[in-house]
Amino acid sequence: MNKDNKRMLYKRPEGLTDKVMHYCAGCGHSLAHKVLAEVLDELEVREKTVGVAPVGCAVFAYHYLKCDISEAAHGRAAAVATGIKRALPDRIVFSYQGDGDLAAIGLAETVHAANRGENITVIFVNNTVYGMTGGQMAPTTLNGQHTATCPSGRDPAGMGHPLRVCELINTLEAPYYIERVALDGVGGVLRMKKALHKAFSVQIAGKGYSLVEILSPCPTYFRMTASESLKFVNREMRDCFPVRVFRDQGTPQNA
Amino acid sequence: MLERIIIAGAGGQGSVLLGKLMALTAMDIFPHITFFPAYGAEVRGGASHCQVVMSSTEIASPCAEQADALILMNQHDAAGFVAQLAPKGLAVVNSSLCHIRQVPRGRRLVSIPASAMADQLGSPRSANIVMLGALLRHKPLFSMAAAEQTIRKLPSGAPGMLEINLRALQAGHQAAG
Amino acid sequence: MTGNEALAEGAIRAGCQCYFGYPITPQNELTAYMSAQMPARGRVFIQSESELAAISMVFGAAAAGARAMTTSSSPGISLMQEGLSYLAGARLPAVVVNVQRGGPGLGSIDPAQGDYFQSVKSGGHGDYHMIVLAPTSVQEMHDLTIHAFRLADCYRVPVMVLADGRIGQMMEPIRLHEGPPPPAPRKPWALTGAAGRDPNCVRSLLVGEGELEQHNYVLQDCYRHIRRKEIMYHEKCVSDCETLLVAWGTCARLARGVVDLARAKGKRVGLLQPTTLWPFPEQRLRRLAARVKNLLVVEMNCGQMLEDVQRLAEGRAPVHFKGYPGGRVPTETEILRAVMALRPPRSVPRRKTGKRK
Ligand SMILES: Cc1ncc(C[n+]2csc(CCOP(=O)(O)OP(=O)(O)O)c2C)c(N)n1
Repeated sequence: MNKDNKRMLYKRPEGLTDKVMHYCAGCGHSLAHKVLAEVLDELEVREKTVGVAPVGCAVFAYHYLKCDISEAAHGRAAAVATGIKRALPDRIVFSYQGDGDLAAIGLAETVHAANRGENITVIFVNNTVYGMTGGQMAPTTLNGQHTATCPSGRDPAGMGHPLRVCELINTLEAPYYIERVALDGVGGVLRMKKALHKAFSVQIAGKGYSLVEILSPCPTYFRMTASESLKFVNREMRDCFPVRVFRDQGTPQNA
Repeated sequence: MLERIIIAGAGGQGSVLLGKLMALTAMDIFPHITFFPAYGAEVRGGASHCQVVMSSTEIASPCAEQADALILMNQHDAAGFVAQLAPKGLAVVNSSLCHIRQVPRGRRLVSIPASAMADQLGSPRSANIVMLGALLRHKPLFSMAAAEQTIRKLPSGAPGMLEINLRALQAGHQAAG
Repeated sequence: MTGNEALAEGAIRAGCQCYFGYPITPQNELTAYMSAQMPARGRVFIQSESELAAISMVFGAAAAGARAMTTSSSPGISLMQEGLSYLAGARLPAVVVNVQRGGPGLGSIDPAQGDYFQSVKSGGHGDYHMIVLAPTSVQEMHDLTIHAFRLADCYRVPVMVLADGRIGQMMEPIRLHEGPPPPAPRKPWALTGAAGRDPNCVRSLLVGEGELEQHNYVLQDCYRHIRRKEIMYHEKCVSDCETLLVAWGTCARLARGVVDLARAKGKRVGLLQPTTLWPFPEQRLRRLAARVKNLLVVEMNCGQMLEDVQRLAEGRAPVHFKGYPGGRVPTETEILRAVMALRPPRSVPRRKTGKRK
């Protein structure tokens, strides 16, 4: 309490710069950035953290997060993060990637970093579309969902079904912690924060690979208002991508 | 004959659509036409502009260094665009959102409250068409009838949109008198 | 139509049966156009998981005898270098489009010409060439794409259409190709199932004694053929010019305007605009270089075609350069200023013209 009897309830996290974010209104990236910054501060690791930004809407993450950040070629973030972590094992290393980056062009790097049990934290923002390039189909696009490159809706015959990344990575032996959360409301934000806390704590303790998938709204390419897109995350997306802890302490968790 | 037109505004104000509409309409009159949109990493909300060049001879660059006509939908970088006006050039300004009150000597300025007028007509999105009406009053690149024809061919948006657009064209034309 | 769409429509009219692509700016309109139009015609469209995959899908479709294409922009084309080398090695026809953006790395999404070396000198490993076509207008995006399919099938080589974001994004009215697609040659080597014939094999691993050497001579023979027959270029006002501009793609288009502006100021300027960057119009450039006082190369890079022009001018006339590497397209005025600043060379001895071939 300060002398005016006013209590600080809410403030911009230390770990965020003052820059106004370029993200569209209602986009999940800005929330994810903010909570990530809070978590790094609360764990007091920001100054020994190195992040890897993806190619995607979050490519400008270095404008907003006050920690060291490297860009990576499209899809290669997990490999770049591996290189950083192996060179500097006592630093905290995370990659922050979209669904196109992580699950399409970068799936090989994603799987192999997880399979080696790299002691890194992978933050996976799944918004079911390629945002940066104009709303094309992503590996996680829902069946029937319309995008710029599946104008009549995703048809699993020929385009495949939405790829479930947490489930896929959970088939490997090495990962230590895997959780999927959904940015569909206040509760979802709080769960995301808990999950990120957990994931970074795992890394700090040297336990190994952690992955947090965040189901995230993209009102612009859902072609919805911000509140409609929250509902889309809450219903359609969670239907396809169940929200839960998949792996804890290196052991698969029951649904 | 060479007409270089720059249309600038905020994303969502229909600057790019207006440019395409003008290019399409002018196709029957000018043998050479180019349309060039500014494309960017940040597509939404930010500034958006495009250029249309109409010419009787081959066009080297679709990006004019100078503009014979300028349509300013909002204030963003307005001064910069005004500085690009060629001698005898015409600036049509949406005075609802743009506060340009004068242009350099030898250039002409037409101000109309296009956004307010479009609001009154029932569709804020028709401000771009109001601006076109105003431009054609002072610079008959093509006839009003030709413009109308292209507007009729636009993909139909909300019901009643076509009528509003046609009225917006006339309203702009008259208000710019 | 935008350049990207005109190109896509050209591919469709050229009988492209299979399209594979991965999103990247500034060519997304192209992939979107194909995603709607190819399935509507019962043809193949796949958004691949990466450019590496896209070019390998092209490899497969081409091996099966289909007309196949992929399109991308600079960073994606870098990933395709592996596949391009394999296509060349296996002698498979394919069309690859690069709508260039600024580099190196992610660079920018603005138009650039930084991939000349990579395209013309072949960015993948091994001794191979691609035919490289450089459009300057929306019409040429359409026409040269159709031509690319013709060349690819005719010579069994990968053909690249090397455009840039400016031409891809620009709209111009065009005449669409109305005739039939280029004739499809028989492809007895294609993998169609060995029914009633010996099995075919598409490969580039040639480890038998002298096998690879022989194969490379075959490739070189094919390239010699292409060099003899397929060179394309445009000229403007070269008959009496003292200053010769050499430019390709977007810069060539600007240079055409600059020729007019300079002539209006009494300067005798001409333009050589290679349409095939490989094979390069070598003879033509040699001849012109022997006649003019100055050469000026204009590119949106730091001097790539410049090296070819210098090599071919062989000191007959000084070669000047104006480059724009920042993903920015120069204005005609800027180029004009560079042209007007050129003075006739004093110290360079002028050799007799016309002697050398
Ligand atoms: C090799 C390569 N291919 C394509 C691109 C173009 N590109 C930029 S961002 C992007 C997709 C990003 O989508 P996603 O990972 O889902 O992230 P979002 O933008 O939705 O956050 C693509 C394909 C590129 N930069 N490099």
